[in-house]
Amino acid sequence: MHHMNRSKNRLSGSWVISILCVLMLMVSVHFSASNASAADILKMGVLEEPKTLNIWAAGDRWSLKILGLIYQPLYVRDPKTLDLVPWLAAAPPEFDPKNLCYTIKLKPARWSDGTELTSEDVAFTGRIIQEFKVPRYLSKWKFIKKIETPDKQTIKFYLSEPQAIFVSRTLTTPIVQKKQWEEVVNKVKGDEKPLRSLLRHKVKMPIGSGPFTLKDWRSGAYIYVVKNEIFFGSGKTISGHLLGPHIDGIIFKVYGTSDAAILALKKGSIDMFWWGIQPGYMEDLRANPDMEIFTNEKSALYYLGFNLRKPPFKDANLRRAAATLVGEDFIIKRILQGYGVKMYSIIPPGNTFWYCPDVPKYGVGLSREGRIKKAYQILSDAGYTWQIPPIDNSGNVVNGEGIMLPDGNLMEKFTILTPPADYDPHRAMCGMMMQEWLRMLGIPAYSKPMSFGALIEQVKVRRDFDAFILGYGSLSLDPDYLRNFFISTNDKTRGWNMSGYNNPAFDKIANQSAETMNRDERRKLIWEMQKMVMADVPYMPLYNPKLIEAARKGKFTGWVQMLGGVGNLWSFCQLKPL
Amino acid sequence: MELRRYISRRLVQIVIIFFVILTVLFLLFRLAPGDPVSRMVDPDMTPEDSQRLIVQLGLDKPLGVQYFIYLKNFFTGHFGYSFHYGEPVVDIIWARLPNTILLFTTGIILSALVGVFLGKIASWHKGKKTDSIMTVGALVTHTLFLPWLALILIWIFAYKFSWFPINGMISEEVWLDPDSGFIAKSLDVLYHMVLPLSTLFLIHFGAYLLIMRSSMLETLKEDYILTARAKGLDEKTIRNKHAAPNAALPVVTSVGLSLAFSINGGALTETVFTWPGIGRELVFSVSQNDYPLAQASFLLIAIVVLLSNLVVDVLYAYLDPRIRY
Repeated sequence: MHHMNRSKNRLSGSWVISILCVLMLMVSVHFSASNASAADILKMGVLEEPKTLNIWAAGDRWSLKILGLIYQPLYVRDPKTLDLVPWLAAAPPEFDPKNLCYTIKLKPARWSDGTELTSEDVAFTGRIIQEFKVPRYLSKWKFIKKIETPDKQTIKFYLSEPQAIFVSRTLTTPIVQKKQWEEVVNKVKGDEKPLRSLLRHKVKMPIGSGPFTLKDWRSGAYIYVVKNEIFFGSGKTISGHLLGPHIDGIIFKVYGTSDAAILALKKGSIDMFWWGIQPGYMEDLRANPDMEIFTNEKSALYYLGFNLRKPPFKDANLRRAAATLVGEDFIIKRILQGYGVKMYSIIPPGNTFWYCPDVPKYGVGLSREGRIKKAYQILSDAGYTWQIPPIDNSGNVVNGEGIMLPDGNLMEKFTILTPPADYDPHRAMCGMMMQEWLRMLGIPAYSKPMSFGALIEQVKVRRDFDAFILGYGSLSLDPDYLRNFFISTNDKTRGWNMSGYNNPAFDKIANQSAETMNRDERRKLIWEMQKMVMADVPYMPLYNPKLIEAARKGKFTGWVQMLGGVGNLWSFCQLKPL
Repeated sequence: MELRRYISRRLVQIVIIFFVILTVLFLLFRLAPGDPVSRMVDPDMTPEDSQRLIVQLGLDKPLGVQYFIYLKNFFTGHFGYSFHYGEPVVDIIWARLPNTILLFTTGIILSALVGVFLGKIASWHKGKKTDSIMTVGALVTHTLFLPWLALILIWIFAYKFSWFPINGMISEEVWLDPDSGFIAKSLDVLYHMVLPLSTLFLIHFGAYLLIMRSSMLETLKEDYILTARAKGLDEKTIRNKHAAPNAALPVVTSVGLSLAFSINGGALTETVFTWPGIGRELVFSVSQNDYPLAQASFLLIAIVVLLSNLVVDVLYAYLDPRIRY
């Protein structure tokens, strides 16, 4: 009997296949027929979903992208000029130099729950950051001595010292609603680790003042934001842009890979893929008449960094020689397939106001042979010698060998650390090319790809390396990072001066630049800093990749192009259904 | 009685092995280069910010203290908070585990059923065309590179013919529609399962077919099969009732272990199809040095694998009366 039951229970394979086929057919027919979607809902493909909706904990780009539509700052960048324009603020800030006080008036605005956005909310945001020492924001708020709210629409910030980044960084911080966060703050204040509790607070429904509000989030599938009917900018013109939103909402669909997202874009399952597209896809996308391609510059920097704390790169001449060997044309044309911008300074050329075009440049316009000869000249003049020099007696370039330091010792082999090719093929390839270019001069360079975490640990924490290739995909438009990257006080574990650059003259100007409130005067200092850095070459800028994005034609119009791409607040506020 | 003693002995072994795994996992992640904070390459993060985060995450404490906290957390059922999600690890795993189980358990059971069925037929027709086709087919599909097969299936059935969705587990059209009921939503999940399930099926069924085939060929040489033939039983009865149940024993082991390992999902399958399961989280947590999430995921796999080994052993004794412990 028992045996019989077991036999009965054993499903025959053929039955399973038959049942499955029928089910597949049934389901397929059912859903092929019901694939309709609303015309005024924009569908955007994203690679990942946000990690959190808690603005204080959000550090990943996906969380920040979504939260950027919900929480708003006082000022934003104009897409054309990149100047700061009043957003939640009604006008530019008024500065009282005597009291180091900025006064800001707010526009009439409401939170998505209908309550009024007041100066109390702005002051409360600042208090959270200062009290909890919220990472990423504290450096922009710690110099504020006092915040006053004389009335609902006015905020006064008193600074403890002049700070150039106040307007560009502090006033671009997203403002949170006091009503939503006050209870949380009071609750976590008494905890053993209040910051940890604040960062762990789960926000299910963020209340913001932006053009969209969260409607639904199905983890791993999609996020749906709908138009905020009481958005303060609706129907108003800000910086010459008449704002909507004119679309009912946006659905962000999660695609694990670029391949899948691009197929979905071509198929029409999404209207736009909110991520940079690799040049390899371009031929296919350009041939598609339904596709609109956008190419914009990024505020990015990819560079070769040297360790100035030890030989061989302690010597500026070697760094200058290495910089001379960098073939920027090769990098742009071959490695980036034309989708990149040459970088001669630490600040990207797209950041037009701060970018200094007159920095020392190395090897520009020279052929490979010319570069080798020039680099050889720099090193020979500095006292370097070779067992086999890279230039023979007739002046021809040959393979150099056995380069010796000015003290007569043979240069030991060194490594250029790069992220692996699967993480970033461009940086890995640049490392290999740099290795080859240096070897032509007889310099024993070895490119070594390693996992990103290990590379950062080696360079930033242990600070035990010779050279490395790293980059920043999205630098702030305020150039204060220039000071952070090279000021000697940041030459410490986890500090941003990873090269160990130590130049008292630079430090002096850098500190001055941080305190100079006049924009034009500050620009002179920033330009001077760029010149100094490029003369000493602690970093050699390699390239700035262009951001390629694609959207489908025929459904929505009004994408606003700006530095950093079309997936920006201005686009989302102005897109219109066709 | 003997079986009970065997189980008790195995349980003690499991506890010891598990404790070793617990310790190795802790050390493995701590000794790997990089930490969750140093990965945050954001110029807005000052060294002081980084240090504050290290303290908040408890990574400033000596390794011994961290280990003690880790053990305490484990034995109190608290796996800590994910560094990146800021949520309890248990919540993250519980949210994704059912998705993984649904896809992979279905895939393995389906592959096993079809594999056993076809393996039985292949062995019965040993040396003939049917056997050759099935064996070669099984070898080819089993050795295919999974992401490649997945992308090909997506390209053909999702992109070219638009029969199935490109990826994901649900459609926003269905789930945002207030009129969609339980059946529509279930069908939607089923619809999204077709391509990942087909990929898993094509990759796995070949292994079961080959195991079953080779086991059947051994079984068919047994004396009781000869006896059955001598009794005059028809071929179908000999194959299905006498040979197949005994030959299926190695498949049971294989299925048991596969089911256990299916807990970790197939990182590749889940990534290509954007299936929101444990596999994707595992890859993410390891790559981002999210120790609590990675540790808990691996511990879950360890527990399930160890227990399913025990279950398979006990099942063996049940299925084959000759086996006694």
